[in-house]
Amino acid sequence: MAAREKYDEALVVEQLHNQATCKAAFGKVIEHYSSQLYWQIRRMVIDHDDANDVLQNTFLKAWTSIDNFRGDAKLSTWLYKIAINESITFVNKKKAINQLSIDDDESFLVNQLESDEWFDGDEAQINLQKAIASLPEKQRLVFNLRYYDEMKYDEMSEILGTSEGALKASYHHAVKKIEQFLGERE
Amino acid sequence: MKREDSTLLNKYGKDPGFKVPENYFEDFNKRMADILPDVEITPVDVKPTMWQRLKPLAYMAAMFAGVWCMMTVFSHFTGSNIDGVRAVAEKLNEDNRNVDDFIMSGSVSDYDILNYEDSVMMSNEEVMLNDNE
Repeated sequence: MAAREKYDEALVVEQLHNQATCKAAFGKVIEHYSSQLYWQIRRMVIDHDDANDVLQNTFLKAWTSIDNFRGDAKLSTWLYKIAINESITFVNKKKAINQLSIDDDESFLVNQLESDEWFDGDEAQINLQKAIASLPEKQRLVFNLRYYDEMKYDEMSEILGTSEGALKASYHHAVKKIEQFLGERE
Repeated sequence: MKREDSTLLNKYGKDPGFKVPENYFEDFNKRMADILPDVEITPVDVKPTMWQRLKPLAYMAAMFAGVWCMMTVFSHFTGSNIDGVRAVAEKLNEDNRNVDDFIMSGSVSDYDILNYEDSVMMSNEEVMLNDNE
């Protein structure tokens, strides 16, 4: 088996702007980022098949607008922004299909978790997912990025376009709400 | 310092219980690479603009101009007008109006501020509830 080539972001970005090398370079981008973007999307949309579709759309959107990426921001920041926008758009579409208001929380996504083939968590994990789904959209995003990915606030600030102070406050309130939600069910 | 999410981490950990099919990411990467449509790439213009080339010189000129201004002002005060400076200093010392108040911000952490915000929000909610009753 051939050894996996080391990922060099500066080189990949340079290759992305060359017609002859861009497609192969984007292949390296997919290989490098598919896993981390998938898990972020999955925590937003919950269902594996939905996460697969959203991830595919994310890379297609990134690829078709690759000419607009000038390297001013980090590639990861740009991809996360697209993935988050695609996830939010998808969840809102699903709400519309289920005849829910855009202001309703995302609890409906978790309802089928117990029968999900690609979920092996216990009752406690289902409750935690329900608690996360009850949060407002921004707090939910911040919680997922911080709690599961341990993303730094400065990086999160670039992705979400919100100040670090506001993000810290969001995370703090999210943690408190989740603890309260779970406390009421114990 | 204790993490604010340590209770959740200790109880629930970081594994949400989600799984993916075997070799999912390898298959996805291959599938994705195969369906990428052709796109037209505009070569990036790497030639620096006139401003990018002149920027260091402009900053240096601004710095020298600033130093020159400061030296002119200092020489003005340290020369013949020393009595005027003394008079201004004495006037400022007459009362404490020009002493800034400040907060010992180093002793107040983000967590303390957020907890304070929570307690204010909760007391506001209690007031609203009492009002409603």
